Amino acid sequence: MKSYTQIPPGTQILIGRAARRRRVFERAICSVFEGWSYEEIIPPIFDYYDVFAKGWGQEEQIYRFIDREGNILALRPEFTSLVAKTVATRLASSAKPIRLYYSGEVLRFEKPKGGRQREFAQIGIEHYGGSGKSADVEILLIAVETFQRLGIPNFQINLGSVDFFGGIVDRMELPKEQIDALKEVLNIKDQPGLEALLQNLPLEDRRKKILRAVPHLTGGRAVIAEARSLVKNSRSVEALDHLEEIYSIFERLDLAQHLTIDLGEIRGFHYYTGILFRAYVHGLGFEVASGGRYDGLPAAFGEDVPAVGFSFSLDRLEQMVTPAMESSDADAAAIDVDSNFEKALQLRRSGKAVKLCL
Amino acid sequence: MLVIALCKGRFLEPSLDLLARSGIGFSEDVASSRKLIFDSEDKRHRVVLVKPADVPTYVEYGAADIGIAGRDVLLETRADVLQPLDLNFGHCKIAVAGPRGARSINGSDHPTVRVATKYPHITIDYYNARGIPVEIIPLSGSIELAPLIGLADRIVDVVETGRTLNDNGLEILEVIAESSARLLINRAGYQTKREEVRGLIEALGKVVV
Repeated sequence: MKSYTQIPPGTQILIGRAARRRRVFERAICSVFEGWSYEEIIPPIFDYYDVFAKGWGQEEQIYRFIDREGNILALRPEFTSLVAKTVATRLASSAKPIRLYYSGEVLRFEKPKGGRQREFAQIGIEHYGGSGKSADVEILLIAVETFQRLGIPNFQINLGSVDFFGGIVDRMELPKEQIDALKEVLNIKDQPGLEALLQNLPLEDRRKKILRAVPHLTGGRAVIAEARSLVKNSRSVEALDHLEEIYSIFERLDLAQHLTIDLGEIRGFHYYTGILFRAYVHGLGFEVASGGRYDGLPAAFGEDVPAVGFSFSLDRLEQMVTPAMESSDADAAAIDVDSNFEKALQLRRSGKAVKLCL
Repeated sequence: MLVIALCKGRFLEPSLDLLARSGIGFSEDVASSRKLIFDSEDKRHRVVLVKPADVPTYVEYGAADIGIAGRDVLLETRADVLQPLDLNFGHCKIAVAGPRGARSINGSDHPTVRVATKYPHITIDYYNARGIPVEIIPLSGSIELAPLIGLADRIVDVVETGRTLNDNGLEILEVIAESSARLLINRAGYQTKREEVRGLIEALGKVVV
């Protein structure tokens, strides 16, 4: 007989102060989302496995099980596939744009790391029906306000586009294995690894030069100019135009100090189709939020509608102690009441906290 | 301030040497002290000394912004870190070795190959890619002994000169990967401390021979 003193690896229990802290963060973030007219969606904790396999893709990380009728089900590893499916089906005839936010636990079979277990809390927004830069800017501004609301001043949003690197790769006409090998070394900015690959690739010097530059294309507006000098293909150029427009808007709003153009980051779930971003906080070794555009995802569930969104990792955000959040710990002290129920009710009716001494 | 994780042991001297040549010096003798934390003379860098196998972990979690470790350790820990530079020291091979003259594993002699190693992940990846069932026998030292006394059929280990293998009647059967010292960078730190981190990568890149 197994001893059940321990809970399964990757799960956790929040009690008292830790739970209160979680809810304070959650409420603060939800109020930002609601302030931008996002409505809450509470999806089920599990759905058919295919929804996540088709949408999210990381099959090896999905907890799956079989119901009594033999259907394969899965505990949600993320919200976006679930929400996209709902928008493409139940909400198909609703007026666009549709703005939704969610908050809850997701489960992934992955190595617990950076304060994030296998079960962890995600909170995020999804914007359906807006294809242009306005929707992109809207969600970025909401991300910015979220950090500000939490009292985290030193945050940085790294903005890139899958189309910049996509356009470069399209032109190279390489077999998939070679592209994967290139992505692998670029993903870890492995300069010697890249050189070793380039030696054996039938590419013109101009294209090799682009690939050598990609890992370092990170910074302010100057990065866009540098990237322009490297690429000519229309897909990459349009991606740069788009990023530049967003950057200009941020400059006008005096928020560009929080935005970093990052064309060297090529990681991301396969469903991303346009902008892609990750948010970092100074002093934390892991990203705390990520998001981007995933126009093809609702179409995979039957309704072709553009989509953009992001999610924050609450478990990681909570590691950033912010005075604004901690002060709410000091709730009104409960008044001790000595088995006097009348007195207790009276105090409760006047809104006071009570604690019965039993 | 940038935190740099260095390995104790044979990597320490060449690592400190590289740092010194890129302008990061220490007033104390890092190599002979018992201390584990040292601030550089310019107070802009802090070196922490950890076990070689732990360097990728310190960097992946952001406890250190930067680290120097062998590629063998990186492959084994599978740490998700940036690896921009080959520091060109600590060269060795990660190899499968077995008794001299051993036939290649083709499945007829061994339904499951027993492999003794300090590198279980690298070993599993290697045999999985070839479809050969493998039983890992985890050891932490004197790996060469295992095939000699019947504990294992093969070993997977790092090989520098090959002398230890040779002295024990073993030989390299296949090289899995080449290894040397790598510069590791935490992903978030690369973004949030970009100027400092890039400055250091550039400085080191110039002095690596």
